Amino acid sequence: MADILPASIQHAQEQRAQAEALFNSIGEGAIATDEFGRITRINPIALGMLGYKERELLGEWFPKKIVALTDQDTPVNLIDRPITKAFLTGKSATEKMFYRKKDGTVLPVIITVSPILLADRPIGAIEVFRDITLEEEVDRMKSEFISLASHQLRTPLSAIKTYSHMLVDGYMGEVTPAQKKSLRTIITATNRMNELISTLLNITRIESGTINIVPKTLKIERACEEVIKELSLAAADKEISMTLSQKGRGTTTVKTDNLILKEIISNLVSNAIKYTNEGGAIRIEVQGRPRDVLVAIHDNGWGIPKASHDQVFSKFFRAQNTVKRETTGTGLGLYLVKGLLERLNGEIWFESAEGKGTSFYFTLPKERRNTAARAASSQK
Amino acid sequence: MANEGDIVANILVVEDDKDLNNAYCIILESQGYTVESAYDGQEALDKLEHFNPQLILLDLLMPIMGGLEFLQRFDLKIHPDVKVLIFTNMENSPEVAESYRLGAHRCIIKSWTAPHNLARVINEALESEPAKA
Repeated sequence: MADILPASIQHAQEQRAQAEALFNSIGEGAIATDEFGRITRINPIALGMLGYKERELLGEWFPKKIVALTDQDTPVNLIDRPITKAFLTGKSATEKMFYRKKDGTVLPVIITVSPILLADRPIGAIEVFRDITLEEEVDRMKSEFISLASHQLRTPLSAIKTYSHMLVDGYMGEVTPAQKKSLRTIITATNRMNELISTLLNITRIESGTINIVPKTLKIERACEEVIKELSLAAADKEISMTLSQKGRGTTTVKTDNLILKEIISNLVSNAIKYTNEGGAIRIEVQGRPRDVLVAIHDNGWGIPKASHDQVFSKFFRAQNTVKRETTGTGLGLYLVKGLLERLNGEIWFESAEGKGTSFYFTLPKERRNTAARAASSQK
Repeated sequence: MANEGDIVANILVVEDDKDLNNAYCIILESQGYTVESAYDGQEALDKLEHFNPQLILLDLLMPIMGGLEFLQRFDLKIHPDVKVLIFTNMENSPEVAESYRLGAHRCIIKSWTAPHNLARVINEALESEPAKA
């Protein structure tokens, strides 16, 4: 026994030294806490990133000493801190937030916290965090570039469209019916180009978090009516019928952004038109429910192959059965719709069977959640 | 194409793209308006020394002086009778929100607007009540 004990102590000391070396050599900020969230260890990179000295942090209650902020510069609730989640769930948690440094400036970070479990009970946690200032800057530059490029692309397009219209309208003298037809083709093509640029701009705004939401009280079916009117020519070209109905008696009034809502409906309905054969039918149903309004867009079109169901909302996704038949899609529409709905605190899902049709459903809450809840949800 | 009953008004077109500026002038003159054009905000301010428009069609992104700086300098609070229509391709942008804050009457997306709609929007703006400064 006397021989075994020193060996096990030495082994434990070796393990401890190894853990220490491992902890200090992590290339990102690392902080360890005990089961109460008090800081027990902090590596040099974390000290450098946060601007503290080791003695200023050791033994301090981590969530209080290192303040985390949301995008809006407001402190993150204790319950939403990854360390709390890790302790509560016993699983590791990852979040993007800002840390306030000792000098008061803020640092964008990606944080991962893993609980240290002993017999399924958390006895501490290790947090690793990475400075993402550079990534954020690159992202901002990318968004700015796309925004400016989209704007510059539109200027010559505006001239093409304006002069084509002026020719059709006779500002430069009479044109023959054949010439008019060609001019209208030019106008249609510029409209399509415009749509693509709009989509790109909106996606950039969603990804950079700069989309402008102006909430107004409105009835959802009004927005549906307007979209149906705008798309009636496209539907008539394929002899597709479009109907709007209200299910139940619940009120369909919501406080939301009318332009964004119309963009969502317009994308879903134009998809339905695009991917439905001639003579098909599109039904839009609006239903007021206690907490939200449900909008359903049913078509009896080509449907989405089952194998593609989990990719429908991915960027640049286009189902195999559409790529072969329809060439104008960008694969950005549904990605955009999902992003826009998230901004309005809505949800979207669909049901589809190949060869039978597709139903897209989305909901919008009747009351907008408060800013804190929105900020928390935008972090997900 | 001016008709009896058309509104007689002076319009200043501020747009750096020469082709578009020229197109708007042709469309608006055909509606019977008296039109002057400028290619940036500074030139617009210079024109306003001797030209009194009831409406300014204003682009936002221009060299030398952009639309927002023009709005700050021109100050619609001291010109309550002048309406400013923002004509831009930067839809839904912070710049558009800022132009409303500075008193712009309405914002129109250039690349979506057909000439007959431009004339209609301008008529509506001229017929509407002056904005409260």
